[in-house]
Amino acid sequence: MIGRRRPRALGWLAILFVRGPEAPFVRADLDDSHDRDLARGLPAWRAHGRYVVNTLVSSSSLLVERLRPSGLRPSWIDVRLGLRMLVKYPVLTGVALFTLAIGIPVGVAPAHFADALEAPLPIHEARQVRLIRYWDLEARRRGPTTISDFLSWRDTLTSFESLGAVRAAAYNVDTGSGQVASVSGAELTASTFGVLGAQPQVGRFFIQDDERAGAAAIVVIGHGLWRARLDGDPAVVGRTIRLDGIAHTVVGVMPAGFAFPASQQLWLPLRDRPMPNPRDERQVSIFGRLASNATPERAEAEVRVAQLARAGGGEVAARFVPEVLPTSFLLMGGLPKGGFRSLPEFRFIQILTLVPLFVACANVGLLIFARTATRSSEFAVRTALGASRARILTQVFTESLVLSVAAASVSLLLGGVITASGLVTRFMGGMGIELPDWVDFGLTGTTVLRALGLAVLSAVIAGVAPIFRVTGRSINQSIQRARAGRSGTRFGGLTSALLVADVAIAVAIVGFAVALADKARATIDNGQAVGIEASRYLAAELRLPGGAAAPSATAQQAVVDRLEAEPGVRGVTVANVLPRMDHDIQFVELDGEELPPGSPGHGVRTAQVDTGFFDALGKPVLMGRPFNAADLSEGASTVIVNTTFVERLLGGANPIGRRVRYVSRGLESRSSWYEIVGVVGPLGMHVLTPEQDEGIYHPAAPGSINPVWLAVDVGPDPEQFAPRLRTIVRDAAPNAVVTRTMSLDQAYEGDSYLVAALALGAVLMMGVLLMLAASGIYAIMSFSVAERTREIGIRVALGANRGRIAWHVARRALIQLAAGALLGMPIAALAFFELQEGAGRDPSVILATLLALVPGVGIMILVGVVACAAPTLRALRVTPVEALKVEG
Amino acid sequence: MGYVGEFEQLVLFAVVELRDEAYGSAIREMIEARTGRVVSSGAINTTLGRLAERKLVTSRIGEPTAGRAGRPRKYYAITAAGARAVQESYSTIQKMAGGGLLGRVTRMARGKG
Repeated sequence: MIGRRRPRALGWLAILFVRGPEAPFVRADLDDSHDRDLARGLPAWRAHGRYVVNTLVSSSSLLVERLRPSGLRPSWIDVRLGLRMLVKYPVLTGVALFTLAIGIPVGVAPAHFADALEAPLPIHEARQVRLIRYWDLEARRRGPTTISDFLSWRDTLTSFESLGAVRAAAYNVDTGSGQVASVSGAELTASTFGVLGAQPQVGRFFIQDDERAGAAAIVVIGHGLWRARLDGDPAVVGRTIRLDGIAHTVVGVMPAGFAFPASQQLWLPLRDRPMPNPRDERQVSIFGRLASNATPERAEAEVRVAQLARAGGGEVAARFVPEVLPTSFLLMGGLPKGGFRSLPEFRFIQILTLVPLFVACANVGLLIFARTATRSSEFAVRTALGASRARILTQVFTESLVLSVAAASVSLLLGGVITASGLVTRFMGGMGIELPDWVDFGLTGTTVLRALGLAVLSAVIAGVAPIFRVTGRSINQSIQRARAGRSGTRFGGLTSALLVADVAIAVAIVGFAVALADKARATIDNGQAVGIEASRYLAAELRLPGGAAAPSATAQQAVVDRLEAEPGVRGVTVANVLPRMDHDIQFVELDGEELPPGSPGHGVRTAQVDTGFFDALGKPVLMGRPFNAADLSEGASTVIVNTTFVERLLGGANPIGRRVRYVSRGLESRSSWYEIVGVVGPLGMHVLTPEQDEGIYHPAAPGSINPVWLAVDVGPDPEQFAPRLRTIVRDAAPNAVVTRTMSLDQAYEGDSYLVAALALGAVLMMGVLLMLAASGIYAIMSFSVAERTREIGIRVALGANRGRIAWHVARRALIQLAAGALLGMPIAALAFFELQEGAGRDPSVILATLLALVPGVGIMILVGVVACAAPTLRALRVTPVEALKVEG
Repeated sequence: MGYVGEFEQLVLFAVVELRDEAYGSAIREMIEARTGRVVSSGAINTTLGRLAERKLVTSRIGEPTAGRAGRPRKYYAITAAGARAVQESYSTIQKMAGGGLLGRVTRMARGKG
């Protein structure tokens, strides 16, 4: 023995890492080597280091040996055995298939949707076409590109063969049939079609002269519009159609399937000109086709250099960095360069969607564990006949793989049917997300591969761990236990931990689902209580002629006048957004207040409303005065705020005469001041969380907003008035279009759909997880009680009290249930408090939280009791003679 | 009779060389001393386990020793099949490398040609 002692930590390390049947000899060798190193005169630190390395490398060698590939080669026999097992245990197969068939598609969904949305546009050699945009490093959002950027880049960049610019818009189109409809279109440069490599089917595309200010008004139309509105007229070129009331000559028709940049059906020449003040220029998207010898990286470097040269360095150049990106960013322009996957929200959702799969795997693992345990004697005999441990592992793993691959196939089949049915697009439409036709959510090879990958992972999680436990016993022991008619499996710490985790997750999920459902219900209640009788109003979106730049005041006024004169109409008002809808959020500061540097200001919701808005909605001004005609004059700058604004931003102080102004992020630019002249009560600016709906109303003159929302007070069942409203609009303003109508009580914030969808998803997930947890718990508990039949019989034979035996059996199960419930309850409560957003101090919320936990805990206890009851009663009925027979 | 790999050859040669003292750490030390290669105790043990499975070596458990916290050593000895395997594998390489091939490879390795 060497004089110097070996640190104990090294011994522990070896015990921890060096495992398996050969471990004692390997650990002894590690010690030997260490002693020799010291005897050779190596410094102690070096000998210790060599010990650590030797331990870790040895551990990996042993692990690799245990999983040696030669023994883990699956065969067709294993696959056939796996299929036979599916048939032999139909209940287990059903439960496992169902749970994995839900878990796997939910797990692959985020990546699948991100892929679909990030797919390149359906244009010729799409990978060569790239968007050029600015990224605002400070605000972490897209910066504006304008015609000046386009002209500068077009003239200087050599990495691009050609550049184009586009701006989407909507037009009220009258093809001469007397029916006006709103159609989405775009203004684009003549170069665009060259960049895209597209040719018109009929007629021509724009030439550079068409971009000249004062050139003839012309339009190129899409195939769909041509067929639907112009009956596919072969002589369409030269025909006149009216866009926002202005006659345009059709010069060309694009082929079917062409829609750029998204779902547009008509295109006009872009006639933007550089302005003396670049801030006055309107935003455009700029894109180009890479030169044959250019790469996106080189192009980006060139644009950055060009930008630095143009801006002459300085703060702006450092803040707005040009980026060269795939065409999908034309659609998803607000995303950072890395796309969806670079968003923390995406990663969070990805983790969240994998939770059900892992819970499913853990439970399927429990079920397989129970099934494998009943086959213990089979494995013992096979081992005795010479099957290696690896061979048995392979067989059982293949069985589990067959199950998960079958589940993945079922889910892919269902996923294919669902995406083909257009359900996803309809759901997104409900949330206000309009997607271009070419965004295809259909199954792709990548998604199939991902699903199969998850199936393998599921098989590993669900199959391998239980099998290691079952096969980790000596042959003699297994055979002895098999002879005694028992599986010989003891459900130790791992199983208990799984059961406890199962119950905890189920309880937490129930709490979360109840909280979300409560939130959804509260949202609906809030919607009813916005302070107006929403069910009396017909809401109609009206697109005025003149586009966004110069909407027609005459048309708006004509429509309002005609509606007010209509019998049965009690009031009409116009705004850019109506109560219960999504209001814009902007940031403000108050006079006399010093915002700290870097502060974004106070977030408030805003609306632009006509002077009669509050009267028409039956919501009189509480303090100060309502808007009047003077507020619409040039230079007037008055606003009305709501009571929440007064309470939250002014601490309830009198706001009349106070001033407020808008600040952009980081306070680097400020608007002029607005004077507060009045206060109104809550009017549904933020239905989801009315306690945080502080808002500002601006007066809007006719012709200052496009499109506008009309709220028409027509009494009960307002939707019946919709056809009449369309007729009135057609008569009063032939070039205006009613794009949609609804009863105002059917208007919801986009987030409400999200809350409703989340609530529905959580309730569904709750059902699935509960079923999973219940099936896992039932399988394990009933199995472990059944295992003790003989023991119970003997106890009965020896005169034990039946009640005490029942308690003895149930005790462990109850401890596991209680531990799970205790673990899950705080998580559920946290979710509930979080979703109440600050209302947590209210005793009613605490009570509701406790009530929310009752179903989860209750269901788990019920499952546990049922799982224990049947086998316990069966065991208690066993006569001592039968019990002893089993022993024999 | 199968072919044995390069590392298995090293282990088998060490077992032959060490005779009655062929146990894990001694084999490891011999390989490290003669080849300069650093190998782990785990790798030696798993290789010996594989060779034992193929009946190329036999093993016996020695008496517990005081210096190893009472843990016994596992001693290995080569079998006739093991000796044949190492002889065949080694001579296969020699035959392949004959005819001046080794010299050429050596020169190439030194960058001379």
